[in-house]
Amino acid sequence: MKHVCALLVLCASPLAAQGYRLRLDGRFQAVGYRGVQLDSIAVTDTVAGPSGGPTTPDGFAVRCPSGVPYCLFFRPGAVQRGAPFVTTADASLWGFGVRGLSAHVTARTALDLTGSNAWPGTDPALQLLTAYAEYSVERLTARAGRQLNSNRLGMIGFDGASITVRDGRRGLDVSLYGGWGLARGVALPVTSPALNPIADFQPGTRQLLLGAEAGWSGRLGDVRAEYLREVDPASDYFVSERVGFAGVARPAAGWSVSAGADYDLAAGWWGSAEATLGYTARAVSGAFGVRRYRPHFDLWTIWGAFSPVPYTAVQGQVSIRALPQVQLRARGERYRFSDADVSTPLVSVEQSGWRGELGMTASPAPSWTFDAGYTREFGPGAASVGTSASLSYAPAGPFAITVHGAALDRPLELRFSESVLHLYGVDTQYEVNPGFRLELGAVRYAEDRRRPDPGAIDWGQWRVSVRAVLAIGSGDDLDRLPPAVRRMPGGRAQR
Amino acid sequence: MILPAGFVLLALLQQPAQGFDHMKHKALFPSCTTCHAGVATKGESLWPDPVSCTTCHDGTIEKTVVWRPPTSPRRSNLRFDHVGHAAKAKDKSSSCSVCHTLAGEPRMAVRDPVVQRCLDCHGIRTAHLAAPDTACATCHVPLARAASFTRQDVAKLPAPPSHAAPDFLSRGGHGAVSRQTLGTACATCHAREFCYECHAGSAPPRAIAWLGSDPRSTAIVARAAPATHGDNFADRHATLAAASTTSCTSCHVRADCLECHRPSAARGAGYHPDGFLARHPASAYAREASCSDCHNVGAFCTSCHAQTGLTAAGVLRSGYHDARPFFVVGHGQAARQGLESCVSCHAERDCLTCHSAAGGRRFNPHGPGFDGARMRRKNFAMCTVCHGAAVP
Repeated sequence: MKHVCALLVLCASPLAAQGYRLRLDGRFQAVGYRGVQLDSIAVTDTVAGPSGGPTTPDGFAVRCPSGVPYCLFFRPGAVQRGAPFVTTADASLWGFGVRGLSAHVTARTALDLTGSNAWPGTDPALQLLTAYAEYSVERLTARAGRQLNSNRLGMIGFDGASITVRDGRRGLDVSLYGGWGLARGVALPVTSPALNPIADFQPGTRQLLLGAEAGWSGRLGDVRAEYLREVDPASDYFVSERVGFAGVARPAAGWSVSAGADYDLAAGWWGSAEATLGYTARAVSGAFGVRRYRPHFDLWTIWGAFSPVPYTAVQGQVSIRALPQVQLRARGERYRFSDADVSTPLVSVEQSGWRGELGMTASPAPSWTFDAGYTREFGPGAASVGTSASLSYAPAGPFAITVHGAALDRPLELRFSESVLHLYGVDTQYEVNPGFRLELGAVRYAEDRRRPDPGAIDWGQWRVSVRAVLAIGSGDDLDRLPPAVRRMPGGRAQR
Repeated sequence: MILPAGFVLLALLQQPAQGFDHMKHKALFPSCTTCHAGVATKGESLWPDPVSCTTCHDGTIEKTVVWRPPTSPRRSNLRFDHVGHAAKAKDKSSSCSVCHTLAGEPRMAVRDPVVQRCLDCHGIRTAHLAAPDTACATCHVPLARAASFTRQDVAKLPAPPSHAAPDFLSRGGHGAVSRQTLGTACATCHAREFCYECHAGSAPPRAIAWLGSDPRSTAIVARAAPATHGDNFADRHATLAAASTTSCTSCHVRADCLECHRPSAARGAGYHPDGFLARHPASAYAREASCSDCHNVGAFCTSCHAQTGLTAAGVLRSGYHDARPFFVVGHGQAARQGLESCVSCHAERDCLTCHSAAGGRRFNPHGPGFDGARMRRKNFAMCTVCHGAAVP
């Protein structure tokens, strides 16, 4: 973080006409929880428990694999305590003497003040999410540096360059980008030790990435196609190669039909896809569609060769503004995995599942908002049934408070775990001024494992968080504007 | 499209003038210019001299009155000058009552200017706010030149009926119209900053730059989400965003997406509901969403699971899946359905203990859809992990 701030200061001072936006979002949490610790005991040392099954002498139910002289069980692990302090800095600079030229940096520091490793993502402590220079005019946008492209193939991070050419009148745009890729879902190269916590296969070199996109946008619809290939420069083998298609049709006011799919050229199969019919009006909005999901694995892992099977789902959702102050919502989905082409009479696993939610949001009086929801899902591996509610008081002034609670029943399919969890929390917010906001929150997870033996390890915990968001910048247009405007490169009046 | 004008004045235009009762004084003033000399003679005051009132209102003949002429110009965006207008309209009737009274009313039933009279004279056959786009500039100056307007005045500007059209916010709505009318109709009420309230993306239409710059224009609130968004748009925006990226980026910047779609965010700002940590197993097992788009399995899932003791750590028969006594021998279906969940605890070596052609029990892991020839062609090195050099 020090380095980022120093860089900003160094860059800013000599440029008299320079404008800037800086948003600092710092969040500190205190967390503590207890994990589990795998242990074993000789078969001969086990005793018969109350239900007749084998247990340790101190009461832990054990599992004794056939053919081995020992039994396994999980003891309560050590209490993990963490104090993560995560700060995200989002800065834009412009005014370099060329209209349309700007620079953007988003960086994050993540430190666990306890020195433990209880919080994910704290290694390395400084991560550069994006850092690029941009030249943007109506028909052209060019960027160079670390970028994140979010499209139907996922969030594509890379260090390199991109260029987009567009014809706004005809609604056409074409993009080309390339560089050295980042790992999926993180702003680190795939060679980073932080991505290999259990020391298994890992590439020795970063992949080279080349992508292209083209789209057409018209009054009645939009279509888009994307192509992405990643190659290991050390071997010239593919890490991945995919294409994606997406389209939206708007046949009538309020109605839309959207669909998309991606095809894995490297594996030779269709990946995820969806088609949705949507309707939006003042009082009612909803969508109904089908979707399919198949995970994507890079070819530097062997997981793709294990033939992950997709599931196909039918889903629908509706939101109704029953009264001006009351909004009702419902959603549901039913899915079924394709045949995995493997079976054994000894083990059966759920092949289909469903999930649903009912909820409502009401504003019975100015400044007051009540929200309640009921969720239920059942499927392979796990299920859950939960209710949640929250009450918010947010007057026009700088102060706001929300109290919330939830109850959750969450059995697992493949492991004995019939836990019930209750959650209570409070979040407060105080806006010192339009550019500075403080938040304080606390939440209690209270879990009942519902096991009769000492293996009923309590995962209950408190989490306390403090957050400060500071937005500063040149110009006078930071007050109460939507985030997009506050972050707008170049500032409003400068464009 | 038409853009409105004279907004603050409009509220007053249809009302009789307040303050001075012209009708009561009709016998005293046979000519308007007796008091309002400025309407006929350049350089003269538009208002009467207060001293002239005291001729009668001296406390004896009539009660005294306290009145001072305004010291600042009236807040207006009208392109109007009495002297100049009278000169141009000399071929038409240029008496004051033509504009300041309703038809049929006596001369001294003075009102603020009647808009309909303006429209009639200028040949505009519509309601004021529905006038053609080219008509606005007939009477009104662009907002950027209406120096006397305050932000409050701007905020009260009425929207013309065209703005209420369902697709007005779309590119085919205001976007198409504005290309022809930015400098004439739109500019009457709007300035560049107003457009940038929404057009915050990286490549705003160049036409916006044709408008003048005026920070007062943001007094008009125009940040309503497009009609297509609806109440639950966050839940269903994915496919639309993938197909309509260009549309999204006309209003949104990348940082908007990163608020939720932030790589490895331990707590995205609003993507997951409160308490999601507790119920994430069900969502993750069946992949309600593509977790790995934002969460790297190694840096996020595995590191956290390892910290809580939930990794296989090289021991295949750890006993974690204790609800199925023979899970190891029958895990194939569960693995192919939820492979992303498996790899959040298991490393590749765990599976290769049995699933390798080079050793172990040589169980074939390839299932439906596996195209060995293609994968070999794309990445031969992956095949050699299990097959060594003898890849079939």
